[in-house]
Amino acid sequence: MMTLLRASLLVAEKDLRIEFRTKELLSAAGLFAALVVFIASLAFYLDPTEARRIAPGVVYVAAAFSGVLAFGRSFAREREFEAMRGLRLTPIPRAAIYLGKCIATFAMLSLINLGALLLVALFFHLDLERPLLHVAAFLLLTTAGFTAAGCLFGALTVVTRARDLILSVVLFPLLTPAILIGVVGSREALDGATGSELGVWYLLLSAFFALAIGGGLTLFELLIED
Amino acid sequence: MLSSATVAADFEQVSVKRLVKTYGTTRALRGVSHSFCAGEITHLEGENGSGKSTLLRLMALLGRPTSGEIYFGDEPASEPQRFRAQIGYSGHEPMVYPDLSARENLDLFARFYGYRDKEERLKRLARLEELLGHGAYLGRPARTYSRGQLQRLSLGRALLHSPRLLLLDEPTNGLDREGLERLGRILDQERARGAIILLVTHDERFASAVCDRRIRIHHGKILDADAAPGP
Repeated sequence: MMTLLRASLLVAEKDLRIEFRTKELLSAAGLFAALVVFIASLAFYLDPTEARRIAPGVVYVAAAFSGVLAFGRSFAREREFEAMRGLRLTPIPRAAIYLGKCIATFAMLSLINLGALLLVALFFHLDLERPLLHVAAFLLLTTAGFTAAGCLFGALTVVTRARDLILSVVLFPLLTPAILIGVVGSREALDGATGSELGVWYLLLSAFFALAIGGGLTLFELLIED
Repeated sequence: MLSSATVAADFEQVSVKRLVKTYGTTRALRGVSHSFCAGEITHLEGENGSGKSTLLRLMALLGRPTSGEIYFGDEPASEPQRFRAQIGYSGHEPMVYPDLSARENLDLFARFYGYRDKEERLKRLARLEELLGHGAYLGRPARTYSRGQLQRLSLGRALLHSPRLLLLDEPTNGLDREGLERLGRILDQERARGAIILLVTHDERFASAVCDRRIRIHHGKILDADAAPGP
């Protein structure tokens, strides 16, 4: 019988293959993130000082909304032709379906969110040379926690009719702590904070990710059963 | 949940004992008990909503009964992971990925069923050619397929891993005469291999031609069971 890791990578490979063929998720979520950044740059840019304070928020707003779009689209593929049921018929561990979706969605969202970060840097005239490592690390860690929670709730959209409600109303309150930590951590990094000063934010984001992935691995099977 | 090293079980008989399934206030199955043996094709017949599809879904381990038990040989289905590799199911929906072609879908599911060797997967796909036929459609995304082509693909997915238990819900839907003949030949081969086959179909002629036994289900209960007229 297939190991959890191998099965997860197979699920992820399947998702990535479909995505690179259709480019549905990358184009929709990527374009949405770019629009959010562009509109925010028109609406909120005042001066370079204020821009540095606002910019992290813009990045995470773009990441949050494009993420919800991505989770919805990713699981819509499993609903069509009841493909998820075909997966459930196979002997792969249920956790592998969840982990595989997480891996693939994380890869795509990382691409989109790092792109959004670069756009924010451009439109808000940010100097990312020194803080880039920390800002990118916060973004990727938040994306990981976001993805772990989003894929769990994305599974709910396969079995319920209240899909849009689930993702927008239920998911966002759960993700608020991660988004806040990401914004505050990124702002402090842009203000020149060192790695040790940012340690507590890394710890909190890591804890959020651990909780989200643990919850996902525990609950996913229960959510997708008929 | 994280266990993946369980050894797959084999069995010569599948039994359901006092199976009940309730959806809200609707009792789809009301205490169904029967045994199905290797090397036999059983026709499940009954009016719409009698519980045939529910019975097949439960036996495919897609959901838990409200009460009652399913046995694979002497073992209860309390650890579903042990039996999934031996179950093939084709239902009302194709259960494949619409953006992948038939070849890609079948190769993917062969890998999910544990066939890591590419040569082995190609051999299995080649065996399904009798059902799938040949044609350019095999290389196109499944969302472009006709109803009959999707049905063939769904059946191919169910047969791919040579399951011990084969559950087919309305497999004749959308199939043309050639497709029906091919399906009949394949079911004969599966029966000769020792598979336990349950077939739900409203196509009486097809059922009479291939089935060994008939079970009539009415309002979630088995009314009667007998040997069907031979092929």
